[in-house]
Amino acid sequence: MGRYVVRRLGQLVIVVLGATMVLFACLFVLPGDPVGQIAGSDKARDPAVIEQLHKQYGLDKPLVVQYGTYVGKLVTGDLGTDYTQSRPVTEILGPKLENTAKLAVAAIVIDIVIGISVGVLAAMRRYSIWDVSATFITTLAIGVPSIVLGMIMQRVFVIELDWFPLIAGDSFEGIILPAFTLAIIDAALVAQLARSTMLEVLRADYVKTAVAKGLPRRTVLTRHIMRNSVIPVVTYLGISFGTLLGGAIITETIFNWNGIGLALIQAIQQNNNPIIVGVVTISVAVFVVLNLVVDLLYAALDPRIRLA
Amino acid sequence: MRGASSAKWVAGAIVIALAATACGGGDDDGGSKGSGKAGGTFRMGITEPVAIDPYNAQESEGILVTDNLFTGLYEPTADGKVNPALATSKKVSKDGKTWTFTIKKGTKFSNGEAVDAESFIRGWNRVAVKTAASDVAYHMAGIEGFADVQSGKAKTMTGLTAPDPYTLQVKLSAPDFEFYIKTTHTVFSPVPKVAGDAKNKAYNEAPIGNGPFKMQGKWEHNKSITLVRNDDYGLTKAHLDKVQIDILNSANGVTLEYQGFESGQYDWARMPTPQLPAAKAKYEPQGEWIQTDTNGMNYLLPITDNGPLKSAKAREAVSYAIDRDAIIKGVFQGMYTKSTTILPPVFTDVYQKDLCTSCIKQDKAKAKQLAAEAGLKPGTTIEVAYNTGAGHEEWIQAVKQQLEQVLGVKVKSTGKPFAELLADQQKPGATGMYRFAWGADYPTPDNFLYPLLDTASINKDENGKVTGDNRGRYSNKKFDDLLAQARATEDQAGRNAIYKQAEKVAMDDVALIPLWNRTQLRLANTKKFDGLKMDFHEDPNLSEITMK
Repeated sequence: MGRYVVRRLGQLVIVVLGATMVLFACLFVLPGDPVGQIAGSDKARDPAVIEQLHKQYGLDKPLVVQYGTYVGKLVTGDLGTDYTQSRPVTEILGPKLENTAKLAVAAIVIDIVIGISVGVLAAMRRYSIWDVSATFITTLAIGVPSIVLGMIMQRVFVIELDWFPLIAGDSFEGIILPAFTLAIIDAALVAQLARSTMLEVLRADYVKTAVAKGLPRRTVLTRHIMRNSVIPVVTYLGISFGTLLGGAIITETIFNWNGIGLALIQAIQQNNNPIIVGVVTISVAVFVVLNLVVDLLYAALDPRIRLA
Repeated sequence: MRGASSAKWVAGAIVIALAATACGGGDDDGGSKGSGKAGGTFRMGITEPVAIDPYNAQESEGILVTDNLFTGLYEPTADGKVNPALATSKKVSKDGKTWTFTIKKGTKFSNGEAVDAESFIRGWNRVAVKTAASDVAYHMAGIEGFADVQSGKAKTMTGLTAPDPYTLQVKLSAPDFEFYIKTTHTVFSPVPKVAGDAKNKAYNEAPIGNGPFKMQGKWEHNKSITLVRNDDYGLTKAHLDKVQIDILNSANGVTLEYQGFESGQYDWARMPTPQLPAAKAKYEPQGEWIQTDTNGMNYLLPITDNGPLKSAKAREAVSYAIDRDAIIKGVFQGMYTKSTTILPPVFTDVYQKDLCTSCIKQDKAKAKQLAAEAGLKPGTTIEVAYNTGAGHEEWIQAVKQQLEQVLGVKVKSTGKPFAELLADQQKPGATGMYRFAWGADYPTPDNFLYPLLDTASINKDENGKVTGDNRGRYSNKKFDDLLAQARATEDQAGRNAIYKQAEKVAMDDVALIPLWNRTQLRLANTKKFDGLKMDFHEDPNLSEITMK
């Protein structure tokens, strides 16, 4: 187990290195000098300023040297300096990462609570009105793009009803709409997944055995049914955490949520390469670590699985 | 000299009105401005600025904050004129190379330090030094010793001296009778001793200034900036207690502003283009609709030294072939005004309406005839490039159709990301036309004519790449001579007369193809605030407004 974790973490280093290398190469072939113009403006920078900035950012050196320097700093946790405000990337992305994490965690909580309870309810009361409407609503939720849902919710709950603040800030009310927008598709998928795996488990021999030997209904449900049907759901949630980062780009834009998704969009518009590389590096690392956590969790939930 | 993509261009300020906590604090010691009440919180939103420290404040958003934190020698007015601020008098030598300003005595920075000639010299040197790598330092290029400071050879500009504590003497390396107009830019602000150098992070995030407002706390990046009234302000004091500026994301900031105004949380807002007619219908009758042509222009930029538009007649043919009225009506819902000049109408002293005869009305016959004379044959390919994602697709498409219909040419329109478009304009062998916009940094015609059209502004490097702002490579000795002559003329009226001649020379050559003016639209809460207007930088005039 310990060796397994170490090996996986070793993979993490390789994946992060690979990702930064590919990105570096891609950004290098883009036309236009990243500090050649003032962010978002038609105006060319003063040649003296360009020269000074090139020196400051090491852009006057060959790409290989730049990459070497970048990796060297990366090991110490330094992601470089951004091109528009000359602030350290870690200082810029730190609070944003925290915000995105808050949003993602809130979304996952919504996924779990809504998804699993709806799924379980639907499976237990199969073909009832509950089940049918759950299937209908979840299918609908999967079909509506989150950008549409987000904008409709913003229109109704913020502009018309004025229940939530337009600019989220740090308040608790501020996180509700964005988290819900981000979570809704996954929650619906989780509900459908939970329903189908549970139906499968309900028919399994060990459940019949448990019922036959007269275990109380509650024990059968929690110990045998739930534990077995939750495994695919956990796997799915682990993977979806990564896609949440992608969904965050849309949600954060709609609700002005100051996270890394928004930072990425703005950095791309401004050719702000250090931020782009920084966001991707962080996302890759988070994704790999989460996958590891999911695999470990998997083993904990299902003793039959042995990690080696 | 600020050109821009629509994204930042349009980026004016948004005002999010907090349900005005009409805290009656602060007596109306502004006095002279009359009856309005003091107090009130003005909440507004902007997109994240590059800097709010005068050393690098550059776009509308950064300038909004810096301009309210600092007061310099002169100030620009919304209609393109210049008013004295801390300068009580100015004197220029006969040769136009030495300026002497007297500075108002007894004014202070918000930390109590006196604002004197030294504080101006300190502020200007701080911007000009090489290590500052300031994007706006070039405004000081005319000051003697600037080159040495920029190259790192010196730390202070030799041209700046203080014969006595309240007299600032500026020696220039070349005559410039408009130098005082340049000092309206925030880069010429004075700074206190605590400012340190340009890399002083603490000061960059919470500048201590001498303006009508001061910072409350520091700049919370991507979140907010809060200003409070400076009760020790040395000139006419502001009335508002507080300005709460939220920082919105640039991707949908405009939508958020408009929604905020609709829901009553904002006092000032831009609007998404599709919503304009609805917003106008609703808010114009209530007196909350502001529509102003500001100091910017939209052009097609023809490459004049290469390709199909090398001849002036070909460019005139293109200009005649475009139906501006139809595009403004069809694409912009009638919200823009057509432009018929190179200089914006806001420069009232030099404005020559209808100078561009080919801009007034589409004339297919004339366009065809000129094209034939110029050898712009049907079937010729004209490249038109624009930046994507900034709402230019539709009108470029319309221009393409009109040119193809009228002239029979083949228009190849290409959308590119912004950085790519700029790199493309600059590279040797560029051809055809580019979408282009320009705005002035200070109210003088020179700020359009010199950077955009003077031969010296082409500034090719050793590889033939254009490093200046004259991307059309327009070069005409007569024009250059007139500009030089204007720059050497002391008297403002005489100078303006020559600028008008120069504009005519460039217009006769169709060096730029004017399209429409930079018409700015805002929603403003005139029900709660008196005297709310758009200033020279397209921001609300925070230091002047009062509660009703």
